[in-house]
Amino acid sequence: MLQEFFIPKLTAASNEEVIGILGQKLLNAGYVAATFIDAVLQRERTLPTGLQTGAVNVAIPHTDATHVVKSTIALATLAQPVNFRLMVDPATEIGVQLVFLLAVRDPREQVELLKKLTAIFQDEALLRQMLETADSQGIYQLMSAALAVKNG
Amino acid sequence: MKRFNILSVCGSGTVTSSMVAEKVKESMEERGLQVKTTEAKPTEALNYAQSGSYDLIVHTSPLPAADYGIPTISAVGCLTGIGEEEFYDEVEQTLRSLAK
Repeated sequence: MLQEFFIPKLTAASNEEVIGILGQKLLNAGYVAATFIDAVLQRERTLPTGLQTGAVNVAIPHTDATHVVKSTIALATLAQPVNFRLMVDPATEIGVQLVFLLAVRDPREQVELLKKLTAIFQDEALLRQMLETADSQGIYQLMSAALAVKNG
Repeated sequence: MKRFNILSVCGSGTVTSSMVAEKVKESMEERGLQVKTTEAKPTEALNYAQSGSYDLIVHTSPLPAADYGIPTISAVGCLTGIGEEEFYDEVEQTLRSLAK
């Protein structure tokens, strides 16, 4: 997880644009294969990843491990929400302000991390704090702390 | 004691279903139920269900319409926290009713 993977207050017109910008960061740093971004976009079309968490909706775009070199997380907070379709109900669109792009090489090795991530989605105060943080170092520190806390 | 087999289904059959599987396993252990989980994609769910080896399907992506022959429960509360306890309650009740 590199600080440059955290983009605060991004302005983007669509979820595709957000995924492209975040994916490019991972690609530049060698964390994912060149096929990763297209694979994530394609998956989002058929099996979307928007989650209605209540106050601050999130999305967790991701794809198969074959497109991933090294597991990591990238995050963009959005100045204005972009639409994602709901994981549970792909016919429904929701406005999302926090996009967590997941690169997962081996889910079994990442179970603890993935579990802590769900704890983040459920922490409304933390989600709001992320939205208000204006610098990538600040968001990186919030995420690092949240992912390191024992038992989430 | 009976060990229950749960099929955890998500879009890619890996990332989200692993999150759900782990949380279901832990919460059921806390409630005194032993659970083994297998992760699968929605398109694989019917084959698994028809194998007769599974007691229950929990899923975060919609399941294709079919006769699965076993209970199916939406697990998205595991991710969002909304209705999470109710989800565990439903899984527990379903498993306990199967054990009778």
